[in-house]
Amino acid sequence: MSAVVAEGLSHWFGSEPALDAVDLVVERGDHVAVLGENGAGKTTLLRILSTALRPSSGKLEIMGLDALRERRRLRARMGYVSHSPGVYPALTAEENLAFFCDLRGADRSRVPEALDLAGLTQVARRRAGALSRGMQQRLAIARAVLHDPLLLILDEPDASLDAAGADLLAAVMRGRTAVLATHDQALATRLCQRTLTLRKGRVLGPGSRLRIVQ
Amino acid sequence: MRSITIALAIARKDLVSEWRTRELVPALAQFIVLALVIANFGFQIDSRSAPAIAPGVLWLALVFAGLVAFGRAFASEREQATLEAVLLSAAPPAAIFAGKALAAGLLLVLCEAVLLPALALFFGVPMSFGLAVIVLLATVGMAALGCMFAAMVAQLRARELLLPLLTLPLWIPFIVAGGQGVQVAMGAGGSLDQPLGLLLDFDILFVVLTSLAARFVLDD
Repeated sequence: MSAVVAEGLSHWFGSEPALDAVDLVVERGDHVAVLGENGAGKTTLLRILSTALRPSSGKLEIMGLDALRERRRLRARMGYVSHSPGVYPALTAEENLAFFCDLRGADRSRVPEALDLAGLTQVARRRAGALSRGMQQRLAIARAVLHDPLLLILDEPDASLDAAGADLLAAVMRGRTAVLATHDQALATRLCQRTLTLRKGRVLGPGSRLRIVQ
Repeated sequence: MRSITIALAIARKDLVSEWRTRELVPALAQFIVLALVIANFGFQIDSRSAPAIAPGVLWLALVFAGLVAFGRAFASEREQATLEAVLLSAAPPAAIFAGKALAAGLLLVLCEAVLLPALALFFGVPMSFGLAVIVLLATVGMAALGCMFAAMVAQLRARELLLPLLTLPLWIPFIVAGGQGVQVAMGAGGSLDQPLGLLLDFDILFVVLTSLAARFVLDD
């Protein structure tokens, strides 16, 4: 069974099509990079895959479940990182993760492990608002894997990460299915087996790592 | 059971954030005291007119403080871009909503702890257990409705305008029953049973309705 099967996904914001009949199949364990210019529809596609946004039309099945009907069940099995970290500035890094453990019903004992993975152990008791943007993004990545998800949806998570951030992304993607939107083709080549290029909401054609390199 | 844990976690997070940033409560407390000072100078208050004027001043101060408190409940999540992360955590929307309403309601109760003694001081009206119960019961229903509309308008540009327009008409039952109860508690005569019963009925009705609507408001 494929991890993600999307057929004819379309989405309009008003009269503007943001996504136009996108088909996508992601096999279990696959890492797929979504490439494209600003406004190509990457974020719209990833928000639909994460179930944060309902498509205007099309079918979406994730891990065998209808993503439009079984959103809560799917959310329990996936992790999502957006380009905006979305952390609580008044809470410490540790408290941010503990809060999401409570929401997800995960054991709080996973917090130190997640902080260690993200390289945030030293700043665990510092308020998230006092962390640099890159550290906040690391915190958001740690939050996305707290519950050990099967599928990761990563929307430009590298936007404010340093060079070592790619290692963190590789670590969290290992052993999981992942869809990664990025502008960094080198990162896409390093972390993903397949690429999907969008332009004005349309798929340009399924690519491969070789095609990108060429 | 898990929904209660989630609601409490959200309320605790909001209260800890408020305790550390002190964004809302000091400003609301100042607003309430200023409203009472202005009312004190604006009306010719004596021992005979105070019981008639005080309930109106109390509800005006409470309604406007409530609009600010409930408006902030979801506005802060929008500014920090955290609401999506909370929704994608698979937490039930009704639990998220209950947690936000609980925290905002408790912050308003803190303001009421300033309002009621200040009202007694400025207007010389008697404080009583009945008065506190009436105000608390009204706060429950007002918090449920206020937070629901705050969630609805959080993503809109004209939210500051829309929140009072949507919320105030539905708060009128609380103001009518609560106003009646406060007048009785301040010695106007009559029984507290009817306003208490009405407020309890409104609380149950609106808490149930807003819990059912939470999924559509927050997630759809």
